[in-house]
Amino acid sequence: MNSALSVLATLTSLACMILLFRAYAGTGKRLLLWSALCFVGLTVNNLLLFVDLVVFPAFDLRLYRLGASFFGVLFLLYGFIWETK
Amino acid sequence: MQDADFSDEFCQFVQRTIPTVEAAELLLALAAGPDEWWDRTQLPAKLRPSLGISDAEAARYLDRFEANGLVAPGSGNRIRYRPASDELAAQAATLAQAYAERPVTLIRMIYALRDAKIRSFADAFRLKQGGA
Amino acid sequence: MIEFMSGAVTMGFLVASIFFLRFWQGTADRLFLAFAIAFALMAANQALAQWLGAADERVGYAYLLRVFGYVLILVAIVDKNFARSAK
Repeated sequence: MNSALSVLATLTSLACMILLFRAYAGTGKRLLLWSALCFVGLTVNNLLLFVDLVVFPAFDLRLYRLGASFFGVLFLLYGFIWETK
Repeated sequence: MQDADFSDEFCQFVQRTIPTVEAAELLLALAAGPDEWWDRTQLPAKLRPSLGISDAEAARYLDRFEANGLVAPGSGNRIRYRPASDELAAQAATLAQAYAERPVTLIRMIYALRDAKIRSFADAFRLKQGGA
Repeated sequence: MIEFMSGAVTMGFLVASIFFLRFWQGTADRLFLAFAIAFALMAANQALAQWLGAADERVGYAYLLRVFGYVLILVAIVDKNFARSAK
């Protein structure tokens, strides 16, 4: 169940990432680039969560998960602050 | 008045100076009395109830109008509608005409211009792309 | 380090959520509301996971919050593309 849910989260964030990159490629609006990069980070986070839950590695991936989310949300906030209006 | 009459210059004028419908109404109210001096702080109160905006909002709009050369400051807190160029006067006239004849289109345009970048985020999630 | 990152990420998600709320207010596009709620849920997920600690067996439930958020985003995407009222 856990793995199914984390796969769902991963696929959703992956879909967001793809849609945003596609829109960026189409329109060139930089806000979309930052948003897409955010979802790269969130997808990595979800993927590592899946690995953490399912694979039970010897070491805890938390720091890498947090790092991915951290940079993801940083890109998003940068985009929101600089690239809107 | 067709949509095509909204020239690029007019769209840029609106994007620069008119962030909301209330701002448009404020400018048009000022333009209706071009020789009148208004007190900046009393302006919103004077224009109610036909134009309901807060003092803070009015101040923001007036600052923007002033920065773009649409109103001129006077002594004390007073301002007067005074376009700095013929071009600005023409744009304001277009605004008045649009407001009178095609208000819905104008309103849509005001908000579309303002939110263009944010809308692009929402539009990214349309599976079928190709025009908002 | 982890605590610092966890706090920073929680705050980041919350700020993003607030931005989305403002965008929703400006555009009346339901998609932004969905993203606002989703990012708030991600923030709650992160805060709860940190509070419970990795060893707590309940931490798995905390991740459900994030999943709800992503489901909401999916619903919003479907709504945007297939709902009859165009917004």
